[in-house]
Amino acid sequence: MMTRFTRPLALAVTALVTPVAAQDLVAVRAGKVLTGTGATMENAVVLIENGRITAVGSDVEVPWNAKVVDATGKIVAPTYVLAHTPGGLSGGNEMMQNVPFLTVQDSIDPSSLFFEESLRNGIGTAHVIPGNATLIGGQGMVVRPFGKTVEDMTVVDRGGIKLSLASGRGASRMAQMRKLRNALDEAVRIRADLARKKEEFEAEKAAGAIPADKEFEEKADKLKQPIIDLLEQKITGYLYVPSAAEVPEVARMVEKYGVRLVLVLGPRCYKAADQLRELGLPIVLDENAIEYTERDAETGEETVVCQAKVLADAGIEFAVGVSESGRAAERYPWWQMATMVRHGVDPATAMRALTTVPARILGVDAQFGSIEVGKVANLQVLTGSPLAATTWVETVLLEGEVVYERSKDLRLQLLFGGSEGEK
Amino acid sequence: MIIRNRTALRSLPIAPALAALALTLGLSAQDKVTVFRGAQVHPVAAAPIQNGVVVVAGGRIVAVGGADTKVPDGAQVVDCTGKFLTPGLVDAGTTLGVDGQDLNEQGEEVTPHLRVVDALDPKDPRLARARRGGVTTIQVNPGNRNVVGGLGAVIKTHGDTVAEMLVQDESGLRLTMGSEPSSGNRAIRGGTPVGIYYRRPTTRMGVVWEARKAFYDAMAYQEQKTVPEGDPENTGYDPGMEVLVRALRGEVTVRTTARAEQDIRTAIRLAEEFGYKTMVEEATEAWRVVDDLAAAGIPVLVAAPSQTAAPEGADVRYHTLNLLAQKDVPFAICTGADNIGMSLAREAMFAVRHGLPHDRALRAVTLDAARLIGVDDRVGALAPGLEADLVIWNGDPLSPTTKAEAVYIRGQEVTP
Repeated sequence: MMTRFTRPLALAVTALVTPVAAQDLVAVRAGKVLTGTGATMENAVVLIENGRITAVGSDVEVPWNAKVVDATGKIVAPTYVLAHTPGGLSGGNEMMQNVPFLTVQDSIDPSSLFFEESLRNGIGTAHVIPGNATLIGGQGMVVRPFGKTVEDMTVVDRGGIKLSLASGRGASRMAQMRKLRNALDEAVRIRADLARKKEEFEAEKAAGAIPADKEFEEKADKLKQPIIDLLEQKITGYLYVPSAAEVPEVARMVEKYGVRLVLVLGPRCYKAADQLRELGLPIVLDENAIEYTERDAETGEETVVCQAKVLADAGIEFAVGVSESGRAAERYPWWQMATMVRHGVDPATAMRALTTVPARILGVDAQFGSIEVGKVANLQVLTGSPLAATTWVETVLLEGEVVYERSKDLRLQLLFGGSEGEK
Repeated sequence: MIIRNRTALRSLPIAPALAALALTLGLSAQDKVTVFRGAQVHPVAAAPIQNGVVVVAGGRIVAVGGADTKVPDGAQVVDCTGKFLTPGLVDAGTTLGVDGQDLNEQGEEVTPHLRVVDALDPKDPRLARARRGGVTTIQVNPGNRNVVGGLGAVIKTHGDTVAEMLVQDESGLRLTMGSEPSSGNRAIRGGTPVGIYYRRPTTRMGVVWEARKAFYDAMAYQEQKTVPEGDPENTGYDPGMEVLVRALRGEVTVRTTARAEQDIRTAIRLAEEFGYKTMVEEATEAWRVVDDLAAAGIPVLVAAPSQTAAPEGADVRYHTLNLLAQKDVPFAICTGADNIGMSLAREAMFAVRHGLPHDRALRAVTLDAARLIGVDDRVGALAPGLEADLVIWNGDPLSPTTKAEAVYIRGQEVTP
């Protein structure tokens, strides 16, 4: 796995704001710091060196040569992390159902409005991965919503592989499960075949039929390799589970194939809360799965169920997604968190579902998700509480660099009627 | 359809049923006095009251005041300490309560005689959904597929029968500008006209002409009505024409759906041409026409401020409502025709996010909405004499972390 943090930080350039030359030393003066670990600091300074946080606290002095980001009277929080989103892809769902070899690298559109919106809404890291409508949809990658090319944006170049138990295009659930098992069984066979061939090769080599300096070189079909990687836990499967009915199949998959999975839960999963807790797999609530309106088939009566609340009450940790569609309130992290809080989830848990938990699921928690010494300086300056509708993201820093300023957000200004050149 | 006796059409069993209902409600609720105490009360028509008291009897509000408001002995007290109390929200433009299939009668493109009240389904789960979001009164409109779509209705969001729910059986005449009434229509190019899609109009010009023709016909009809009955020149009663004539006389408001600037301008022009009373509905690009709207005194119904895209390629702007407020254009916020999964309180919340003052946003989904649909003498505020439609919220109703805890319609708890 290659991350951008194994390489020197690239100077990122974007059309949205004038690039600020990367300074070694940046100090953010905050009215309040929400560290994301539960701690809150009033009138604190976040000190950043070479894109990493080197000090946080009320007693931190601002060095004379530091570039200062003034957030006095405002709230500084970690940028949000999305553990799973098909946003920013030019077509997130491949029609062919078994395409493990595809990667979003070929589909991410850096100029997509999704990334612009993400930055505007305080999202700093996103695992972009194919949608829920393909059986084996391909591989994702972790990006930041900033940069002109996919390479600029790359945080982790190989994310998870997307699997889905949602039966699509007229297929039955039976067929969907069967197809997924078939794909996995096929990979098991390929692996076994290769192992057997290698054994035979070594035996012949030992017997002198093959020169001693020759190595076994046969490899699996490249198109199938990602599934073999999944079996070998070299890649994590992000499995979409549309409803509670599919949860037992998840248990069987884990047991039979030993695959490492992250579950992306659809809106109708809450009834399997106990099984999910037993499984202990990391969980992402899909963008539309926080709140679910269930209709009684007999009476037609509707009940609103907050899956996040059910999971939280069952002691299950989870991340949540945001909508990639520009038309829904669910595209806003504040709305998603507020929805959970509206249903009784405590605000800290709601906040974690978009910061530390997704960072841990993605395996990038050493870098992202909270404001702590040693972590990458991905910060957002908010005008108020992260849960309030009236709060706006004022500034976003990624790797210590200011990459978004509301005062320079031309699209937002246009939406507010400013700089309206009548065309 | 020709009905000679006008009263035959008008005296559907709704009115007596309503009266009977009021009677039963009145009788059963008259003795019972309910007092809502301790909430932050937002009467909307007056300043908010901390630790307020609202007294309800006989399905109506009797008193609204501070903690020292006199309450009768033996009244049932609802403790609202720490809660917010507002009037039930009023959605001035929806299609709730009517099956999507039933919104657009496609037999003709001008159907002023159709009444949405005839397609209302009290069991529509979306009504309970609206109620769950604190909405107690809604204007239901016919769809936008016809140039003249018919008459809307104002109903409460709770009731076993339409009669029970009804506030106004005929409210506003639906007129649609833009491409919606022509979308899907096919021009007959040498082929045989089979199927309803081979119909007129097929362009914006055609849409406006159909509207104009309808009103010309109504004017001609009105003149013809002066011919004595029995005279062969008198062709008799036409219910559709009757509705249009009522619109021309200003007795029915023409609700013109117009999203793009050009369509809003057409809406203003047509209203001036024929002198009818109109409001512009779903007016996405009202921000481009705000001065003309102000000059013409035409109210605006803005649909779904949370949305960043609108039909007809109309450009959404976040400052639309602020502009309307500045220029004194009367307006209300509604969920609109495309209201799947929407909540009116949330739409008002987005208006606040976009800079509309909080009290103004709350008014835009209560009193101002009621005013726009002509029912502010019954609902839309907490004031003595008005119907006791109220909502208890666990916080500021326009905050995303708040939900409606209890909903009352005419003094009865109807929380879903």
